[in-house]
Amino acid sequence: MKLLTHNMLTSHVKGVTKGYPLLIKATEVKVNDVDFNPQFVCRMIPKLEWSALVEAADLLGHRQDLPSELVPDYEKNEDFLKKVHRALLEVEVIEGCLQCPESGREFPISRGIPNMLLNEDEV
Amino acid sequence: VGSLLMKETDSAIITVYIGATVPTGFEHTAAEEVQEKIGVDARISKDRGRIYFPISTDKLFQVHRLRSVDNLFVVVEEYDHYQFKESKEETLMELQQLASKLPWSNALKVWELNRSLKKKKGHRKGGNSTRVKPDSEASVADTRQQELPRETSPAGGDAKTESVADPESCQQDSEEALPEARLIKFRVTCNRAGDKHSFSSNEAARDFGGAVQEFFQWKADMTKFDIEVLLNIHNEEVVVGIALTEESLHRRNISHFGPTTLRSTLCYGMLRLCKPQVSDVILDPMCGTGAIPLEGAIEFNSSFYVAGDNNDMAVNRTVNNVSHIQKRRADKGSSSGLPIDTVQWDVCNLPIKTSSVDIIITDMPFGKRMGSRKKNWDLYPSCLREMARVCRPGSGKAVLLTQDKKCFAKAVSQMGGLWRKVLTVWVNVGGLHAGVYLLKRTAAVFGQTPEDVRQPRGMNTNPGSVSLDWCN
Repeated sequence: MKLLTHNMLTSHVKGVTKGYPLLIKATEVKVNDVDFNPQFVCRMIPKLEWSALVEAADLLGHRQDLPSELVPDYEKNEDFLKKVHRALLEVEVIEGCLQCPESGREFPISRGIPNMLLNEDEV
Repeated sequence: VGSLLMKETDSAIITVYIGATVPTGFEHTAAEEVQEKIGVDARISKDRGRIYFPISTDKLFQVHRLRSVDNLFVVVEEYDHYQFKESKEETLMELQQLASKLPWSNALKVWELNRSLKKKKGHRKGGNSTRVKPDSEASVADTRQQELPRETSPAGGDAKTESVADPESCQQDSEEALPEARLIKFRVTCNRAGDKHSFSSNEAARDFGGAVQEFFQWKADMTKFDIEVLLNIHNEEVVVGIALTEESLHRRNISHFGPTTLRSTLCYGMLRLCKPQVSDVILDPMCGTGAIPLEGAIEFNSSFYVAGDNNDMAVNRTVNNVSHIQKRRADKGSSSGLPIDTVQWDVCNLPIKTSSVDIIITDMPFGKRMGSRKKNWDLYPSCLREMARVCRPGSGKAVLLTQDKKCFAKAVSQMGGLWRKVLTVWVNVGGLHAGVYLLKRTAAVFGQTPEDVRQPRGMNTNPGSVSLDWCN
């Protein structure tokens, strides 16, 4: 699971209203090599929940001193964009789980695949 | 690459017509791709699923970069209004006589050139350093030639003719390149359509093939052939061609198949339809073996793909298919990571934030091989609602393939406040007549249109209670 995906995932357990962002508990993390596309990163940043990304990257030890808040003019800062690129696309949680911040329900991650299926009583 | 070869063989650069078979319904997207990658206008044949375009031999290698094409052939001759004789006997006799009159030589030169192009790519796989480093385009073609998952190795012909150990002798081959000089094996494949013909495709293939054999002194072999001659007859249109592809290219990305894996050319056609933009978030919420998002991650790689399915085997196969491609890329020294992720989820209850997805693209269960017709009556509306929720209002799009057209049409008509139908492409999937629907997400915010406030899940009897406790 990449952090870009994590940024969009939310808990949908019945009755939960504050199911985002999911807490990450990782037992195995991998870093990949993905082609850097600055335009992709630039246009993706406004679509993100920035603080959720930074917290997640921090937790996994790959924050690379990304700021807690976006600084203006980041579009031209290639260094910054490369760090965001790495956090979004290159860091992957292979084993672990995601936890709903409100209900505590855990969703396992195995082979990089989060299993978000709910039981019948949770729907 | 192409021009290097031509200099050495000292042939003039010639222009020929290439025919390509594409998934029916996607002729226009294929023509678009030809215009984009080769820079020429393609003609769409009345014989569905075929397009034709001109190409000069120095640019031949470009045809192998086309992703919307199943098979390629070089045209020997084309008759728009072939006047068939009255009787079967006379018609077949005429076909036989045709064999010796056709302008074979340019087409055969192209066949030869194409074969040496493929051999060179085959050798690059082995890391031959004396060759010029392939540019990125050639590597993509490289990829495609090698990626023939689980299919038998290329027709015996390649190994049969002077087995080439290195590219040098490969070029010498082309120089002496007169097919008559070697023992060439061939076969004729005839496709015939139309109700006014007095003969069958078998008869035409047999008689035409016999004459070709006489003329060239080639040996006929149905399975281990070097040259495949194509005789395509569609009403009054007759096209004689020579195949340039050995195996169909349509399953190129998939190494781990599932029961309903879509061919990659169809995936590509669907992706082109939704015109992925840089940074688009693209979801396939019923991904099966991941054929669609994987094709997207390779070919439209400035977007990000999330592949999801509820089935254990499906998500595992998807991950296997992605890993397979990534490993291949890593083996070639390029950065292997693809912009794709896989999640296990229920399409009717997506664990995805509202309004966070740009495009939804998927192959919906048909109800024949997967799921059931009755299930679709509940599934389709639930799906469409959930997809509308996660899709960005105003700019979002969906490209949905389904054979259950009636159920789908009804489900969409009840979602007019959230989805608008833009166009439909009629396609053929494994013999079943299906539709690819392009939908636009309206600007309406989810949770406020009458449909989603009061619409019960499913269209079967009792309304039941509606839960709208979305988290965001």
